[in-house]
Amino acid sequence: MTEPDIPVIEVRDLFHTYLAGTALEVDSLRGVHLKVYPNEAVGIIGPTGSGKSTLLHHLNGLIRPMKGDVLIKGTSIFQWGEHIKEVRMKVGLVFQNPERQLFEQFAGDDVAFGPRNMGFEPEQVRVRVKEAMEMVGLPFLYKDRLTSQLSLGEKRRLALAGVLAMDPQVLVLDEPTASLDPSGRRTLLSILTQWRTLGDRAMVIASHNMEDIVELADRVFVLANGKVILSSSTGDVFSHYDVLIQNGLAVPAVLELLHGLKKRGYPVSLDILTAQEAAKAIKGLYDA
Amino acid sequence: MMREKSEFEHLIKLSVGQYIPTGSVMHRLDPRIKVIMGALLVLSAIIIGSLISALILLAAVIFGLSLTRVQLKLALASLRHMAIFLVVLALIQIFTIPQLHSGASMLFQRGILKITDRSLISGILLIFRFVVIVLGLSLFSFSTSTTELIHSIEHLLRPLQKIGFPAHELALTAHISIRFIPILAGEAEQLMKAQASRGADFAYRKWNFIRKIRKMLPLLVPLFVVSLKHAHNLIEAMESRCYMGGKGRTSLIRLHAGLGDYLTLAVGCAVIASALLVSFADIDRTALEWVWKNITILF
Repeated sequence: MTEPDIPVIEVRDLFHTYLAGTALEVDSLRGVHLKVYPNEAVGIIGPTGSGKSTLLHHLNGLIRPMKGDVLIKGTSIFQWGEHIKEVRMKVGLVFQNPERQLFEQFAGDDVAFGPRNMGFEPEQVRVRVKEAMEMVGLPFLYKDRLTSQLSLGEKRRLALAGVLAMDPQVLVLDEPTASLDPSGRRTLLSILTQWRTLGDRAMVIASHNMEDIVELADRVFVLANGKVILSSSTGDVFSHYDVLIQNGLAVPAVLELLHGLKKRGYPVSLDILTAQEAAKAIKGLYDA
Repeated sequence: MMREKSEFEHLIKLSVGQYIPTGSVMHRLDPRIKVIMGALLVLSAIIIGSLISALILLAAVIFGLSLTRVQLKLALASLRHMAIFLVVLALIQIFTIPQLHSGASMLFQRGILKITDRSLISGILLIFRFVVIVLGLSLFSFSTSTTELIHSIEHLLRPLQKIGFPAHELALTAHISIRFIPILAGEAEQLMKAQASRGADFAYRKWNFIRKIRKMLPLLVPLFVVSLKHAHNLIEAMESRCYMGGKGRTSLIRLHAGLGDYLTLAVGCAVIASALLVSFADIDRTALEWVWKNITILF
C-alpha cells in the first residue's frame, strides 16, 4: 500500500506542442499541474481541443514530456526508462473509442494481449482473462466469439477488459461513455464504480458528459487552452457556473434546471447534483 | 528545452513537403502553370550538363522560394535528410567516371584513384541536380494544395479524354489516395499507442528487424479494416451527394489564368531555356579549363 500523501500520479508544469519544429506546430499543453492520490477518482473536463487526450497520453508515458515532468508513484517518467512497460501496466489507459483498436480475431485473445505481454503463463493468462471479462459483464464464453460480431457496447467493454486484465492500479479513461446508448452507459458506469471498490484503485476520467463526472469523480480539473483553470471537489467545481459556461462547458442537466428556476425567482439551492436531491428540493418548493 | 520526441508521432515525418498557406504571389499563381514549370524544371535539371546552368536553375528556384514567404529553413530541412546520401553518390560519380571514360583531361591521379575534369563536373552537378529538384518540389508543395494539384492535372490531361483517357477518374483516385495518407498515419499512431499501453514495445532494440516486423503484424490487420471502413464511408458520402463520375461535372474551383500567370510562365520558360542553352553550348567546360589553367599558373 502506498502512503496516502504520495500521489500515484503527479503532473508537474507539463508542456506539449504537437508537430513541434514544423510549420504546423500547435501548443497543446501549457503548464499543467495535476495530482492523483490513491483511492481517488479524478475527473478532467474541458472543451474539445483543450488538451485532455494529450494529457492522458502523458500519464503512462505514451508521450514524453517536452517540458515539465510526470511522476508515477513519485518516480519521474524519465527515470523509469526501459521499465516504461511497467508504468503502462500500472497505469491502464482506455482510449477514446477503444472498440476501434481491437485487433485480434477472437475476443478472448484481445483481452489476453496485455497479460501475455506481461509474461504470464497460459494458465494465469486464462484466469486473468476470465476475471476481467466477468468484471465487465461479458460471459467467459464470449472469448471464442469473433470480435467483429460484438455490439458497440460489448466491444467497448471488451476493450476495457483488455486493460483491466493487466490489473492496473490507476485506470485512465478517455471519454468512456461517448456514443454509447443509455443502457450501455449505465452498465459501463456501474462496472467502473464496482472496479473502484476493489481497493487501492485510482481513476482518471476525461469526459464531456457532466453526469458521468458527477457519478464517478471525487475531484475535478477543468482544462482550457492547455491549462488547468479550475480544480476542486466535484460539487464545488459545478458551482462555478459562469466559468464553465464561458469555456464552452456545461453543468449537469439537473443543475441547469435549478439555475433556470433560480433565474425565474424561485429560492432553490444550487449545490445539488443528483436527480433525487433536485426532486426533493423542487417538491419542497411546491409544498411551500 | 527539447527532449526526445514521442516514438509514435508519425505525422511529424509526413509534414515534410506540406502545403503551407501564406497567401503569397506564388500561392496565387495558377496551379497549372506551377505544374508545367515544375515538370520542365525537373526535366531540365536532369538533362543539363553544365554547372552554370545548374546555378541558373538554383537561383531561379531560390527566388521562387523567397516569393512563397515560407521560411527557407523548412525547405532546407528536407535537404538535410539526404545530405550524406548525396555526398556519397557524388563521390562515387567522381571516382568511377574516369575509369569508364578516357579522353578527358586528368586533374588528379594516385594509383587507381583518378579524377578528371569531366568526372569532377558530373559529381558536383549531381549534387546540384538533386538540390534543384528537391528545392523545386518543396517550392511546389509549399505553395500548392493537393486539391489545386489534382485539379490542374485533371485540367492538363483533359485533351487526352477525347481518346478515352480517364482524366477525371485518375485525378480523383490520386486525390483520395493522398487524402488517406494522414488519416491512416493517424490511425496507425492510435493503434500503436493502444498496443503499447497494453505492454507491446515498439521502442527499443532498434536493429532487431524480425522482431520489429512481428510487432508490426498486429497493426496491419486493424489498419486494413479501418481503411476499408473509411473507404466505405467515403463511398456512402459521395453517393448520398449524387456523385455520378466525371461527366457533366462542374467544379467549385475555376482555374483561371490571367496575364500575370502567362507572363510568369514566359519568364520561367525563358530561365529554363537559357539554362539549357548554356548547357548545350558547353560553356563551362571551357570556363573550368580556364580557371584551372590560371590556378596552375599562379602556383
